Amino acid sequence: MSSTTSTRATAPTDLTVATGVPAHQPRRGDGRGRSGGRRIGSHVFLIILAIYFITPLWWLIVAATKSNSGLFTGTGGPLWFDDQFAFFDNIAGLFTHQGGVYWRWFANSFLYAFAGGAGATILAILAGYGFAKYRFRGRGPFFTIVLASVMVPLTALVIPTFMLLSQMGLINTPWAVILPSLLNPFGVYLMRVYAQDAVPDELLEAARIDGAGELRTFAQVALPLLKPAIVTVLLLSVVGTWNNFFLPLAVLTDPELLPVTLGLNRWTALSNAGAGGEQVWNLITTGSFISIIPLILSFLFLQRYWQGGLAIGSVK
Amino acid sequence: MRSKLLAASGVVAVAAAALTGCTPGASAESCTNEILQPDATQVSVWAWYPAFEQVVDLFNETHDEVQICWTNAGQGNDEYTKFSTAIESGSGAPDVIMLESEVLSSFSIRDSLVDLTEYGADDVKGDYSEGAWKDVSSGDAVYAIPVDGGPMGMLYRQDILDEYGIPVPTTWDEFAAAAQTLKDAGAPGVLADFPTNGRAYNQALFAQVGSTPFVYDNAKPTEIGIEVNDQPSKDVLAYWEKLAADGLVGTEDAFTADYNTKLVDGSYAIYIAAAWGPGYLGGLSDADADAVWRAAPVPQWDPANPVQINWGGSTFAVTTQAKDPEAAALVAKEVFGTEEAWKIGIEEAALFPLWKPILESDYFRDLEYPFFGGQQINKDVFLEAASGYTGFTFSPFQNYAYDQLTEQLYAMVQGEKDASKALDDLQASLEAYATEQGFTLQ
Amino acid sequence: MTSNTMEAAATSAVRSRRDAPPRPGGGARLVRRRQRWGWLFVAPFAVVFAIFLVLPLGYAFGMSLFTSTLATGTEFTGLANYAKAFTDPLFLEGMLRVLAYAVVMIPAQLLVALVAALVLDTLATRVSKLSRLLIFVPYAIPVVIGALMWSFLYSPRFGPAATIFSMVGLDAPNFLAADSIFGSLVNIVTWQWAGYYMIVIYAALRSIDPTIYEAARIDGANGWQTATRIKLPMISSSMVMVITFALIGTLQFFTEPVVLRSVAQGAIDAAYTPNMYAFSLAFSYSQFNYASAIAFSLGALVFAGSTVFLFLTRKQSGLK
Repeated sequence: MSSTTSTRATAPTDLTVATGVPAHQPRRGDGRGRSGGRRIGSHVFLIILAIYFITPLWWLIVAATKSNSGLFTGTGGPLWFDDQFAFFDNIAGLFTHQGGVYWRWFANSFLYAFAGGAGATILAILAGYGFAKYRFRGRGPFFTIVLASVMVPLTALVIPTFMLLSQMGLINTPWAVILPSLLNPFGVYLMRVYAQDAVPDELLEAARIDGAGELRTFAQVALPLLKPAIVTVLLLSVVGTWNNFFLPLAVLTDPELLPVTLGLNRWTALSNAGAGGEQVWNLITTGSFISIIPLILSFLFLQRYWQGGLAIGSVK
Repeated sequence: MRSKLLAASGVVAVAAAALTGCTPGASAESCTNEILQPDATQVSVWAWYPAFEQVVDLFNETHDEVQICWTNAGQGNDEYTKFSTAIESGSGAPDVIMLESEVLSSFSIRDSLVDLTEYGADDVKGDYSEGAWKDVSSGDAVYAIPVDGGPMGMLYRQDILDEYGIPVPTTWDEFAAAAQTLKDAGAPGVLADFPTNGRAYNQALFAQVGSTPFVYDNAKPTEIGIEVNDQPSKDVLAYWEKLAADGLVGTEDAFTADYNTKLVDGSYAIYIAAAWGPGYLGGLSDADADAVWRAAPVPQWDPANPVQINWGGSTFAVTTQAKDPEAAALVAKEVFGTEEAWKIGIEEAALFPLWKPILESDYFRDLEYPFFGGQQINKDVFLEAASGYTGFTFSPFQNYAYDQLTEQLYAMVQGEKDASKALDDLQASLEAYATEQGFTLQ
Repeated sequence: MTSNTMEAAATSAVRSRRDAPPRPGGGARLVRRRQRWGWLFVAPFAVVFAIFLVLPLGYAFGMSLFTSTLATGTEFTGLANYAKAFTDPLFLEGMLRVLAYAVVMIPAQLLVALVAALVLDTLATRVSKLSRLLIFVPYAIPVVIGALMWSFLYSPRFGPAATIFSMVGLDAPNFLAADSIFGSLVNIVTWQWAGYYMIVIYAALRSIDPTIYEAARIDGANGWQTATRIKLPMISSSMVMVITFALIGTLQFFTEPVVLRSVAQGAIDAAYTPNMYAFSLAFSYSQFNYASAIAFSLGALVFAGSTVFLFLTRKQSGLK
């Protein structure tokens, strides 16, 4: 029981911080008065579910340690390691294959995801705060339009965006990926909903009475209070940009500019086509494995922010 | 919090710096290869040949005035998509592009290829066979310089055929009988595969019985003749339909990792292939160590009148976005215009040359291929297969035509329709598409 | 600060702030000038919004009014492309297909996410915390990589299916054949997104006031009744949000089928989903005008669909 209460003690606090909506604790009735059989059943269910969700990842980890032929006819089968541990050879291969272009892709992904993600987040913070705390003319209609635009499928914009970018001469440049990913209406919506509750008007008034200008009030009073939402919106935007496939597929040609997802997809196409020397399945698996590490790590370390933050838009 | 913000703006600043630092202009290229003469005219080239970097280096070493800046923008369709995009946006295309001959009219109809007759195409015309030259010309215009070809032959596993006492098939009847023998003997694999996404491969099978699916000439760009449902083609397709339905051949998609593995692990005893097929097999991993590969001519319908077939090859075309079309045309003409370049192409990339000086040389004829246990496959099979090639006409919407062919063949092997219906439906869909695209049907 | 006082403060703050009129802060002129700051804060986003949303939409619509053919060039044809789109069997089949995906995939993801969240909500053990993370992890994997991984896993050579099925003495099914590709794609999407939805629902569950459970328990409600009669209604706004996202995502299905198409060209044709059709039209068949009409039609249908859904569920979502 003591371990139960100690874990409980942290989780709800995170939520309180994250959503601004109080999570009550300690929650009575949980775990108590419940038969052991049901708890075991619940655990078995969770473990089965977790296995389903983690098996593909396990496969990837194993595959990343195999050589090209080991992937096809290894001794360990698809879900276990081979006698031959080729992970470091594969890493070395990533440095030499096509002049180490993989790391260039990796850096591109970071650049696009963070430039796009950070930019979108900054715009969302400003706009969300503006919508939440000022009653300027046209606020209502504009916010309604922004809200409605969440429902416009972004992929429908790819073709016209491509045409526009090509007229601006931006096709096949990093800007062609970064600029469109600054658009994140959902982030604005989240930020507005959050700022509305998390930044009390009284505090802003107090700052103004102390003689602080609007910008200072925003930077010193509002920003610190918005932290959990900022992390959440940043993570969502970064993931969104990192995941983007359709847009870079259309606007990027130069192999040096591809993000890692597109680059690996291209290697797959070349390996499937199978021309001599182009079969690099081992590099594809190892490259995929390495490419998913950064996002998984950031989700792990930022858990206490996003777990509650993700629910901002829905919790009333 | 402020430190967070600072960090965030730092990221943006770094990103911006990185962007401005490395942003290539819309047309400036970053080359995969090294430029030896930085002051020379640079010609950007897209190509996906294996071992092409060595060919590029060779060119750059021997040309002081013009340097190639090479990029692999993807293979086949991937590259065409990029090119198409660049045409539409008016920038971003390379100066010289590798195109398979089957898509030349699809791009020339969009005014994206330069007519090379103004840039000395005729100077090199004599270096190529008539069939090869016909593939790159339309009327009086020449839209590309031929590079490699795809005369077809039959690659087979001597060890497997021997094990089941099957003689090497020389006709399609023997081929079917061999497939039956293999199955009756309970062999673990099948004789061959019938890939519904074989595109040019399937087209070649029809061409063996005289199919001429398209009649098209750039001189009359709004007229097209379409005939894909002629009776001989239907008969050929019915032949494969039956083999597939009886389980005598596989129906796996080509160009996937699984298919590649099956090609070399003994799942298929025979691989009907283009001349570049051996190089393709040699590069595949997980090959059966005991495999004994040999090459023979492609099976015939009428052994008295053998008909040779061609998978298609690739060319170099100059795009209308080329900054210096003259230099670009020079690259297209000369990059594979030397024996040294071709030795790399043949020995490293297993290309089948269309350039006569090497094609007709003793070196090429007598070349022994270790993969085939030293067999001189050019002399035995492919030179003969290439000699009869008279060229082929493709439609200006070949990508669409192939997508439709794949769809119909897949429906057929799924048992949704028979061979005759599949080709009739294909005919109908192509006619509808051509009409919709403003063509007059001949 | 204990959480109880925080709760009280937060609740009262929410109450007092909602619907409160702007405070007069030193004269109407000052207020008006201050409200101009609102526009300044919103302006950067508004610029991006105009350039990358409004403009492309307008541009797409403009382009869709013209027709360009290979043989005859470009001409103004008004709404002809739309008339064509809504009678184009490829577009309509694609639309029906993504609707079928919506009907199967959304409930599948939701069911997994909901049950997992409800179970997690009643447990607070190490196992449950770890499972929560593991179920969520696929969301952190880029969709392309996820789809690539599954295309390996489905492969008879690379994948574990043959091993797993032979343990029970069966032949592994071909996951990439025409009749199984639907299920294979549903599986990928469920794997990728269920964890994310689970976290959203879980967070909503955690924010329910537990005194309600206490009251329910006193009234004699069992676990099942608590879940269905109390928890579900109270998280309905989260459910609406999750379904809306899933719906928008499913109707513009693109990345997963595109990646799988490279290993299943027969089963996934070039017009498998409306988005793939638009992409093929534009970039393989160079029909940018018609592709714009398709993209615009798809956008309009998705917009209409999600708006109707939100209207029907306006009570649950709290949107008016």
